[in-house]
Amino acid sequence: MTGFLQNTFNGLVSGAFYALLALGLAVIFGMLRVVNFAHGAFYMLGAFGAYVLLAEAGVPFWWALVIMPVGLGLLGMALERAFIHRLTRLDPLYNFLLTFGLTLILQDLVKGEYGVRSSPYAAPAELNGSVDLGLFDFPTYRVFILGFAVCVCVGVWWLLGHTRVGMVVRAATERPELTRAFGINVGRWVTPVFGFGIALAALAGVLAAPMRAVNPLMGADLIIVVFAVVVIGGLGSIFGSVAAGFGIGLIQAWGEAYAPAILAQTLVFIVMAAVLLWRPAGLFGREEAPA
Amino acid sequence: MTSTVDTTVEPRPGRAPSGLVAVGRAPGWVRYALLAAGLAVALWLPNGLYPAVAVDILCWALFAVAVDLLLGFTGLMSFGHAAYWGTSAYVTGLVAINAGVPFPVAVLAGALAAAVLAVPIGYLAVKRTGIYFAMVTLAFAQMVYFVANEWRSVTRGENGLQGVPRELFGLDLTDEYYFYYAALPIVLAGLAAAWRIVHSPFGRVLVGIRDNPARARALGYPVHRYKLTAFVLSAFLAGLGGGLFAIGHRLVALDTLHWTTSGKAVIVVVLGGIGTLWGGLLGAAVLVRLEDWLSFSGFEAVGLVTGGIFVLVVLLFRRGLWGSVAALVQRRWPTRRN
Amino acid sequence: MAMRRTAGLAAASAAVVLVAGCGGGGPQASGDQKLTDDKIVLGVLNDQSGVYLELSGKNSVKAVEMAVADFKAKYGDKAVTTNISVETADHQNKPDIANTKAAEMYDRRAVDIVLDVPTSSAAEKVADVAKEKQKLYFNIGAATTTLTGVKCNRYTFHYAYDTYMLANGTGRSTTEQGAKNWYVLYPNYQFGQDMEKSFSAAITAAGGAVVGKDAAPFPNTSGDYATYLLKAPTLNPKPDVLGTMQAGAELVNVVKQYNEFKLREKGVGLAVGLMFLTDIHSLTPDALAGTTYTDAWYWNFDARNREFADRFQKETGTRPTFAHAANYSAATQYLEAVQAAGTDDADTVVKQLEGKSIEDVFLRNGKIRAEDHRVVHDAYLAQVKPAAEVTEPWDYVKVLKTIPAAEAFRAPSADCKM
Repeated sequence: MTGFLQNTFNGLVSGAFYALLALGLAVIFGMLRVVNFAHGAFYMLGAFGAYVLLAEAGVPFWWALVIMPVGLGLLGMALERAFIHRLTRLDPLYNFLLTFGLTLILQDLVKGEYGVRSSPYAAPAELNGSVDLGLFDFPTYRVFILGFAVCVCVGVWWLLGHTRVGMVVRAATERPELTRAFGINVGRWVTPVFGFGIALAALAGVLAAPMRAVNPLMGADLIIVVFAVVVIGGLGSIFGSVAAGFGIGLIQAWGEAYAPAILAQTLVFIVMAAVLLWRPAGLFGREEAPA
Repeated sequence: MTSTVDTTVEPRPGRAPSGLVAVGRAPGWVRYALLAAGLAVALWLPNGLYPAVAVDILCWALFAVAVDLLLGFTGLMSFGHAAYWGTSAYVTGLVAINAGVPFPVAVLAGALAAAVLAVPIGYLAVKRTGIYFAMVTLAFAQMVYFVANEWRSVTRGENGLQGVPRELFGLDLTDEYYFYYAALPIVLAGLAAAWRIVHSPFGRVLVGIRDNPARARALGYPVHRYKLTAFVLSAFLAGLGGGLFAIGHRLVALDTLHWTTSGKAVIVVVLGGIGTLWGGLLGAAVLVRLEDWLSFSGFEAVGLVTGGIFVLVVLLFRRGLWGSVAALVQRRWPTRRN
Repeated sequence: MAMRRTAGLAAASAAVVLVAGCGGGGPQASGDQKLTDDKIVLGVLNDQSGVYLELSGKNSVKAVEMAVADFKAKYGDKAVTTNISVETADHQNKPDIANTKAAEMYDRRAVDIVLDVPTSSAAEKVADVAKEKQKLYFNIGAATTTLTGVKCNRYTFHYAYDTYMLANGTGRSTTEQGAKNWYVLYPNYQFGQDMEKSFSAAITAAGGAVVGKDAAPFPNTSGDYATYLLKAPTLNPKPDVLGTMQAGAELVNVVKQYNEFKLREKGVGLAVGLMFLTDIHSLTPDALAGTTYTDAWYWNFDARNREFADRFQKETGTRPTFAHAANYSAATQYLEAVQAAGTDDADTVVKQLEGKSIEDVFLRNGKIRAEDHRVVHDAYLAQVKPAAEVTEPWDYVKVLKTIPAAEAFRAPSADCKM
């Protein structure tokens, strides 16, 4: 039983990363209809940034947790203005391709500067040690990640529900045709929202730095799983992305513990296939008007 | 009957032209001259390049044409075509190793296996369009990658299938130079098949679906089934390329199934020109040659160069190499409607 | 109409192609090159953009260039030739690229010997190429034992290390030093499985027991090993040591989470199957303090190594890994063999090398086995020092024990048929 609970907890921790990344993708997709392939690269930049700040400027984890999302969010906004914006009137595939190209470039730039070897990054001292969760001890850092990610998700949820920009984003995400029909000016929010989505990826990256290997390729394979997550949750649904993120984290952790290896690795894709059969628009998605 | 199809993408309602390429209609003699020149280049290639590089170009060209068949002519961007290229490579390798048949038979078996795999994946994937289709194909390809990685008793996992034989009625094809000429007819047959598909009534329906799926559905075309057929045909052609690649290198490696292989195929297509069919040939020649050169140049950032070129093409030359040339041709011989 | 004609034309051309192919030009003859062209070319084919970039990469090219310079300085006018050059290419750890590059090096760039080639699949492929082109190949960067097993051939030599050496060294020595019960964690692919087998065998042979073992997904996209690390201390009997076969970034993940879950405090030590100096550098010695692993060479082992390391640092700005030293040694030994044979004819050089006993900066008690072309030499059981004991950059380990050449490597395999 304890083992099961531990695995469940760990699944939720992995799920927290998927959820943060999927949430960013969903928000960006909602406003821009762009699937940002470079999301994994920004996650990597977030983690790498935390490392560079600590190693070269002595900036601690807590500051990195603020600086990287803001800095990369601004970089994201610049990229949106410089590149993505030019292509938004074209088929969204072009932006997918563009961000794929950007991913290759960002990875290689980091590789050129810091090499491929994983860089060291330790959790802040306050978060070392473990917490007694009643049934078992748990590393404080993981408890922190889970709590923090849940707060961020709830916070984003609140922003979407209670602010003007949030309502525009929500409307644009979930009822794109209607929003435009009402004559709501979506345009001026596009760039900030793109930056915000990137900031979420960067945040996930900083959180990952003490726990996972920080190297230029850390986001590359992860992003494909995140794609499967958003297909399962329904890319048009913000709630769906978060729920699917945590759900897939759980399924993977249970799979690793209780299923044969070949199944554990492919589980997320099998779930995706089942969802496509049963609800092609995703568990929480809405069928879009035929394009 | 018109012998060509206008592959111009009509802008969807409310959208600016998508930038997909309009192919001009040059007079017949220009087309024949081009065809002759193309064949001449294909025949000369291994004399001008290192033959193994020339073989790679052949395989990648066929792969790119297969992806373009789907992307340019059906409007579906597969970001997971490595699944078919790689599956065929593995099946080709296994058949060649275990059955000792002539290599074209093994390649055919591989391509058929790729087509069979494409049926269930395609069935699920064509339920979605656009960007979803790209993500779904990518995810399924990754699943195939994981399965191959785990199924070591068959695929030999990380080490790959080594020592794939190159059998053709006892001829000595050890030398890449001769192998190139043995592989060329298969590639030409694949290219001819792609051309035939695009210029058939079936191909025209595909373009119709791409431009306006609602209208095609209203006209009574079973849209999903058409897309699925195109998907399977494309997987078959990609499989031909992948099988030859396996015989060409006498090895099948796990990264034939990796998503970076799918990504490279898309890069080749975009570089050559989406919806141009033959653009893939140019794209493959340029990219394979470039990578060969980079590898010896001592320049480490291969991704920086390919990624940079790719971003530039997407931003500035969406017509790609072939499309840009075609646009020049079109300016010289403006489109005549018949 | 037009399309039918074009199709016909295409078919006709295809036929022409076949004919042209059979009668046409043909490649240049190859294989009988002697020192008549008065030059020796060494080709370093390795990873210059991927995960082995720091382990070997361009600094191995530098190491080979150092070997060439030393050779010229040593023999001066008496050298077989002073026209010695080094070619290099990046194989990106892909066997298909390695295949093309190796063939191109031999055929078009007059390369007499290919060196390094990390990544097992690429290493195996190049062994085939070397056999076909009948040119020499010294593998340094790859760990697969197939190079001295099913893939062994007249022209291929396996120089530095292999999975047997790593697993046997660490598993056996650590068990002999008192760690009886093991929990083994390995990545679920060829390398990990080979390592697990050799490792478990070595532990059992030394009187220890494997109380649990698990295959973790590879690649592990979630980056999470919590499931296994939580399980380790709960096993009965409790394992004394966790043996992890993960490599590179995955090893970094395992170690980070090993520390996070405080397994060392819970009495479970850590032994690593495959670790490089660059991994310790990236994880910091503190994160790994006390970890044991087997190394093929260590730069600060003795004065001779240190002298080489100082020269190497002057050239490259960093300390050499075992791979750099092995590349230097391999290039040196090849040039010495050519010098002794008076020709660069591959078959003559092979005869010169087979059975030869060698003592140099990398090879201690070294011998090139004629049976399977395994180059055997002393290996070292190393332990990572705590940060407090690290007195200079890159001096991260102390050597606990020298594993004699005779015990370090496996006996020639029956799979190898020269």
